[in-house]
Amino acid sequence: MDFQWDAEQQSFRDTVRAFLAANLPADWEAQAHGPGSESQSAFSKKFCGALAEAGLLVPHWPQRWGGRDADAWTAFILAEEMWAAGEPRGGQYMNVNWIGPVLMRFGSEAQQARYIPPIARGETLWCQGFSEPEAGSDLASLRTRAEKDGGFYRISGQKIWTSYAGHADTCFLLARTAPGKTGMSVFLVPMDTPGITVRQIPSVIGEGDIHEVFFDDVRVPESALLGAEGQAWEIARAALSLERVGIPRFALASRMLRRAVERLRREGRYGHGAVEQSARAHAACEAARLYSYQIVDQRRHGTPTGPEASAARYATVMCERLVGEFVVEHLPEALSGGDPLLLAHHQRAIVAGIASGAAEIQLNLIATELLQLPREPR
Amino acid sequence: MDFTLTTDQSALMSALDRLAKPFEFRPIDFHGFALAGDGLECELDDGGYFDIAQVPELGSLTAAMAVERLAWLPCTVDTALSMLVRPQLPGEWPRPIAVVENGRPGRFVATAKTLILIDGDQVSLARVTPGDVEPAESLFAYPMGRLKRRPAATVLSAEDAASVRTWLRVALAAEATGLLQAAIASAGEHLSVRKQFGRPLGSFQALRHRMAECTVLAGGVRWLALKAAATGDPADAALAALHAQESATRIAYDLHQMLGAMGMTLEHPLHLWTYRLKALVSELGGRGGQALAVARHAFGH
Repeated sequence: MDFQWDAEQQSFRDTVRAFLAANLPADWEAQAHGPGSESQSAFSKKFCGALAEAGLLVPHWPQRWGGRDADAWTAFILAEEMWAAGEPRGGQYMNVNWIGPVLMRFGSEAQQARYIPPIARGETLWCQGFSEPEAGSDLASLRTRAEKDGGFYRISGQKIWTSYAGHADTCFLLARTAPGKTGMSVFLVPMDTPGITVRQIPSVIGEGDIHEVFFDDVRVPESALLGAEGQAWEIARAALSLERVGIPRFALASRMLRRAVERLRREGRYGHGAVEQSARAHAACEAARLYSYQIVDQRRHGTPTGPEASAARYATVMCERLVGEFVVEHLPEALSGGDPLLLAHHQRAIVAGIASGAAEIQLNLIATELLQLPREPR
Repeated sequence: MDFTLTTDQSALMSALDRLAKPFEFRPIDFHGFALAGDGLECELDDGGYFDIAQVPELGSLTAAMAVERLAWLPCTVDTALSMLVRPQLPGEWPRPIAVVENGRPGRFVATAKTLILIDGDQVSLARVTPGDVEPAESLFAYPMGRLKRRPAATVLSAEDAASVRTWLRVALAAEATGLLQAAIASAGEHLSVRKQFGRPLGSFQALRHRMAECTVLAGGVRWLALKAAATGDPADAALAALHAQESATRIAYDLHQMLGAMGMTLEHPLHLWTYRLKALVSELGGRGGQALAVARHAFGH
């Protein structure tokens, strides 16, 4: 066991930081406000294109797809530095974390050839069509239907709280091809297909983040099916296991906590209550960091990640909460025009326990799989 | 960064598992608070386990893992201070080691050969002579003791005092790690067996979620403790001790709630771990003290 970075890891981190220093304008978050806004979407394409040219968009991918087979630590160091910088990749973080890898594992040759290269060039946006009005945590109850019609599928239904849908090129869509959990399938649906309507939902997260997406008799060729009919549960599990520790939220939370503390100290406002609360939040951030590293280490060694990934996710949710509460209590003016960076972080942190599955589902998994407690009757 | 145990670490932990096995159950007739592990102490001494931090292939990180493992046991021995703090003291000091903080009773004080005396900002070391210390009755589930008279002590330099405080924090966090895990496992067993309303308590979501939150906190304490033991960095040590005391405060309360009246009995062993945790929460200035240390070391306050 070793808690030090080796020379290669440190040098990679330095490379990423140098790239950010050279390519990320200090005020980029003010220019590209809102995680799924038009300006951020455009910005992310420019920025990710530059990352790709520098070999820093998908270094952890196989060489065949533009990567260099770098290990799980490389991917995570990259993610830490990006998230700590406010995540200038925008919605494209999802592409490189799990959409690309899932396509490599489950996609046909044609699907891989069509969708993977634009991801590796940093020029495309995806959205994730999972949640529905009646299917949030209970994803298996989704109702969007895909009915076979000759060489096509006709898709009808509604998705909701879909991030980045306003400017996405393609939807990673879950739809029902038969009843039950084994009747769910994944479709890769171009968002300009006739019959798709996107409506933005105004939210506290910021402009352009969440949407309703309506599928009104949308006709897609059968080549849009990913894997086999009924394979969605397996594919979604693979995607979520990459996504669960995919966002190093602690990295930005930690940076924003330090920013808030420095300002309070400068202004002589870092009193006893603030000291205690900030120290607790800092401990939670570092606990979440090490928890996440444990999962990355498992990935690097090819060990299947177990319920510890749920624990890592929950630890991250707790640290976001403590940093958010610290800022609200001790630096409230940050949310009223006093600090755009702390505001942007606060808005992103709101979703920590909700996006990619409610944190309470993680608690259930921990209780059953880590603690071996008896299951709830259903 | 690599979280896999080295071959030496794995071998040591396996040996420690074998050594600990006979001590995993408390004597059936023991219904008290402080179960001193005299037999365990002899075995650890014979095997040279108190000196593992000084073995270059093992070091403080492995010593912290050993402290964690041994804290699972119902009986208790001064492992944390002997294994983690003693190697950092200036000069040679015999074990067992105990801390007397501002004159209060402390863990293992009555049987210690070396005392670390903390008086406000001052830290001193003293060899115990007969008649200096005596046992103290206590609810904390450690053999507690107090000073009868103050022994002659060597006052440490500010630098040495700071180092001792850092390693005391590491030792506290490492011991809390094992205690938290053992307490959670003990409560988990109860929740799986005890039925109310026709089903096991552990199948009620209100308790499942609370247990899961306790588990996440305890896991965080473990990682922070191990990292602090590996780096010996004052900021890491302060974070680990703070998170340990924060988590222990909440978890000790939650677990007793979940065990109900059963947890109040001395027949059930839960108190052996929770009341040790409460002793740890009271040390080194408590949560407020650790928070100040975090602010000082991490934020330069």
